[in-house]
Amino acid sequence: MFKKIIEFSVNKPKIIMAIVIAMVVLSVAQFPGIKIDTDPENMLSEKEFVRIFHHEVKREFGLYDYIVLGIVNEAHQDGVFNPETLEKVHRITEEIKKIEGVIAYELMSPSTKDDIEQGGIGTVRFKWLMDRPPYSFEAARKIRERAMENPMFYGTIVSEDGKAVAVYVPIKAKNLSYKISGEIKKITGAITGDEEYYIAGLPVAEDTFGFEMFKQMAISAPLAMLIIFVLMLGFFKNVRLVTAPLMLAGATVLIAMGALMAAGQTVHIMSSMIPIFLMPIAVLDSVHILSEFFDKYRETHDRKKAILVTVEDLFKPMLFTSLTTTAGFLSLAFTPIPPVQVFGIFIAVGVMMAWVLTMTFIPAVISLMSKESLKDFGIKKEMSAGLMDRFLVSLGRFSVYRWKAILIAALAVVAISGYGITKININDNPVKWFTPGHEIRIADEVLNEHFGGTYTAYLVMEAENKKEEIFKTPEMLRYVESLQDHLKSLRQVGKTTSLADVTKKVYYELLGGDKKNDIIPATKQAIAQCLISFQNSHKPDDLWHFTTPDYSKVNIWVQLKSGDNVDMSMVRDEVARYLQNNPPPREIKTNWAGLTYINVVWQSRMVGGMLKSFMGSFIIVFFMMTFLFRSPLKGLVSMIPLTVTILFIYSLLGFTGRNYDMPVAILSALTLGLSVDFAIHFLQRSREIYSEFGSWKLTAQKMFQEPGRAILRNALIISIGFLPLLAAPLMPYKTVGVFMFLIMLVSSVATLVLLPAIITGLEKPFFKGGRN
Amino acid sequence: MILAVAFLNYSFAAEAITAVEIVGKANQASYYQAEDGKAEVRMVITDSLGRTRERVMVILRKDASEGDQQKYYVYFNKPSDVKGMTYLVWKKPGADDDRWMYLPALDLVRRIAAGDKRSSFVGSNFAYEDISGRGTEEDEHTLLGEEEGQYKIKSVPKNPGSVEFSYFLIWVDKVTFMPKKAELYDKSGNLYKILEALEIKEVQGFPTVTKMKATDLVSGGNTVSEFSNIEYDIGLDEKIFTERSLRRPPRKYIKG
Repeated sequence: MFKKIIEFSVNKPKIIMAIVIAMVVLSVAQFPGIKIDTDPENMLSEKEFVRIFHHEVKREFGLYDYIVLGIVNEAHQDGVFNPETLEKVHRITEEIKKIEGVIAYELMSPSTKDDIEQGGIGTVRFKWLMDRPPYSFEAARKIRERAMENPMFYGTIVSEDGKAVAVYVPIKAKNLSYKISGEIKKITGAITGDEEYYIAGLPVAEDTFGFEMFKQMAISAPLAMLIIFVLMLGFFKNVRLVTAPLMLAGATVLIAMGALMAAGQTVHIMSSMIPIFLMPIAVLDSVHILSEFFDKYRETHDRKKAILVTVEDLFKPMLFTSLTTTAGFLSLAFTPIPPVQVFGIFIAVGVMMAWVLTMTFIPAVISLMSKESLKDFGIKKEMSAGLMDRFLVSLGRFSVYRWKAILIAALAVVAISGYGITKININDNPVKWFTPGHEIRIADEVLNEHFGGTYTAYLVMEAENKKEEIFKTPEMLRYVESLQDHLKSLRQVGKTTSLADVTKKVYYELLGGDKKNDIIPATKQAIAQCLISFQNSHKPDDLWHFTTPDYSKVNIWVQLKSGDNVDMSMVRDEVARYLQNNPPPREIKTNWAGLTYINVVWQSRMVGGMLKSFMGSFIIVFFMMTFLFRSPLKGLVSMIPLTVTILFIYSLLGFTGRNYDMPVAILSALTLGLSVDFAIHFLQRSREIYSEFGSWKLTAQKMFQEPGRAILRNALIISIGFLPLLAAPLMPYKTVGVFMFLIMLVSSVATLVLLPAIITGLEKPFFKGGRN
Repeated sequence: MILAVAFLNYSFAAEAITAVEIVGKANQASYYQAEDGKAEVRMVITDSLGRTRERVMVILRKDASEGDQQKYYVYFNKPSDVKGMTYLVWKKPGADDDRWMYLPALDLVRRIAAGDKRSSFVGSNFAYEDISGRGTEEDEHTLLGEEEGQYKIKSVPKNPGSVEFSYFLIWVDKVTFMPKKAELYDKSGNLYKILEALEIKEVQGFPTVTKMKATDLVSGGNTVSEFSNIEYDIGLDEKIFTERSLRRPPRKYIKG
């Protein structure tokens, strides 16, 4: 049946072309309906507890996603607290309020905050911190003094070194962050002076990342294509023929993306990487075909015959390499992360599509080519063919004759890699998806140096008994206070703010401003009366960011200096330990919310899910190999190169201290899918050749001719083709580039060196009954 | 055209009542009925999520024998943990009011600094000024016209820096001179707050607001105040309105 289809492709190439073009057109027609989603929160299902809880917390405590604008003045001796800078802060705040999508009412800036202070003997005053810019240096310094006295201000909206102020811009939706931050930049860009402006906060980082990810896709994919084209041209010397794999890769990507959009799926940042994953896979298949065809055509000079023989030879290994890659990606469908599921499924679709096209489209293109255009094809030796052939011959000899040394070396590599893997650091931080030096990374560093931290998490405590107003009791507020003290002792935490801080501030200001009274009042009535006094301010609703009107819940704002998941996890674990060791005086439930925390949750899902899906696909691939080679031994041997490759590559993470993060996690599927390919080709061809010659030595010689060349060409094309990704300003792209390079390098070495060495050692059992 | 407008303005002026007079009468009608008075106030503050809080208090008022000066005394009954909290306001139109509060749990009398009267009254959507009245001399008033038996007046603050609104509109009943509604507009000209008299009853012959509402269009919250047990001309002692009685509330009047 398959033979018929391939013959059909060769005989009626125009029909195949028409079908492919129709499919591509149909897919591209889906593109206008594209739905883009750059929100990493969607890594979790909408029904996920932490997301529901996060939104509940935001609603209940009137919280929003914030863009943080930092205004820094290092030049002035008073830092930002001089009339000129504060005037700018005031003006910028007013301008930002007008931006569409900004919730002006909840904007936090020195000019929108109300303060309580001493207004003379026996007098308290509720006064805006800075409702208008100060006119004198003295007035500016007074604002600084007051800000440093208020726990709701210092470390949050004014830096304790006085050199920076922060404006927290609440936005209606996270996916407006990129647009709004652009408008803020326009405002600050029009202002001259010594001040420097930085925009930070997770929403901006995440939304900007999504935006740049798509932009990068448009740069990287064509660039990789171009380099692959040049390399292939170097190998095969025929422009038209070499265009075929690129067209195939392009068609594969377009059809897979079209299918994704037709299925009504949103293009998440994850799915935006589908093209860059599919391209090498698609190219890999067709390079095998071209490489083989190139060699066969040299022998026969009959293009139809040559292509038919080629496809016949490669049918089985190609089918299986495609199936294993598909299995690797399809296993992602079982991870608990929706975008990863979509990613896995549609890459699997693309991989099978690439296989079908390789089997039909490439033969069709070849048969459409005139004899004329193939005239010189395969006759002229390729660029470095002589060198490559000689290299392969000596490599083959080395692999067979030095098999023992190779096995020992391989064992050593595995042992060292195993150790490296134990040192892997599981961590992620969306800000670090940008390369160092990116403005978002710089803003992140600068602002976290000046302030308590731009990463917010909310620790919410909820009374089991809602009737009691427990967070008006001194016991509970003192408990919150001591928990905060503990939090503050952690290196990851820059600042915490809670109802306890509000109460203490109001209390000591009421009592005359003496810091010795910076304590929780002794009775529930006293606390209640402090809090009702606080509500005489201009912004009484600010209280409800910290508690609910029934005082059954409190929200502790935790500012972290780093968005690293390990840091957030550490804080979470520390709080859990504290609650365990210091039981609260009343029964409460505690939970975390905030984007920083949500990232931790989805990452732990991702790591666990990936590991399971990886193990699952590893076992599936093993069974497939056993089935393909009709022998568990051969199945097992075929798994060795990929196992070594994976161990080696991931151990590098451990040794270099690179984090095991989102991009690295999804690359495990690609590593598995790609690195088994060469082994399948090698073993399948070895079997076939062995059945002809009945001698491993002769087989090995043959193997290091055509099949070896195909593997080496592929390894070179893919590894070099994706190197330009290293220049991308986004870490996931760099990571993909590095991985492609390593996968190709290590798995080709493992296949061409380790496999022959193993087979040499296992010749008898391996080829038992193998000769026809 | 300009002539026509000028003539129109002139005709209003000639009509015997000016915007300033209307506002003055409205101010008298809402804050100066009789020589003194007492009311129980129940405030329900509802936020944008529908969560409610309650404040129950007794308000006593006494006018100075001459001029527009007034004194207010407020005693809180609820929430129960602030029971006994008292406020004292000496209202001095044309100057800064004097304000004190007493927190019984802290046994502390504090003056609240003069200046800003636009801060919230105990967390409600009413500003201090909405409770005790805004001096009519603080704004420029313009009569915009009449709507359904009410004067419509636009008031623009003379000192815009002291308030968060750029102007407000006020509707005053032509017969009773009771203000029915006020709309406040922010610096960008957007309506952000509405004050309404929901119910007006005659008490001892004085038209009196018995239910009023403040709606904050920005935060989405509102506060409804209901006045009951209203009495006028009860002969309140001047001594009630002193710092001393903040700590020692006049038992006779404060029982809810």
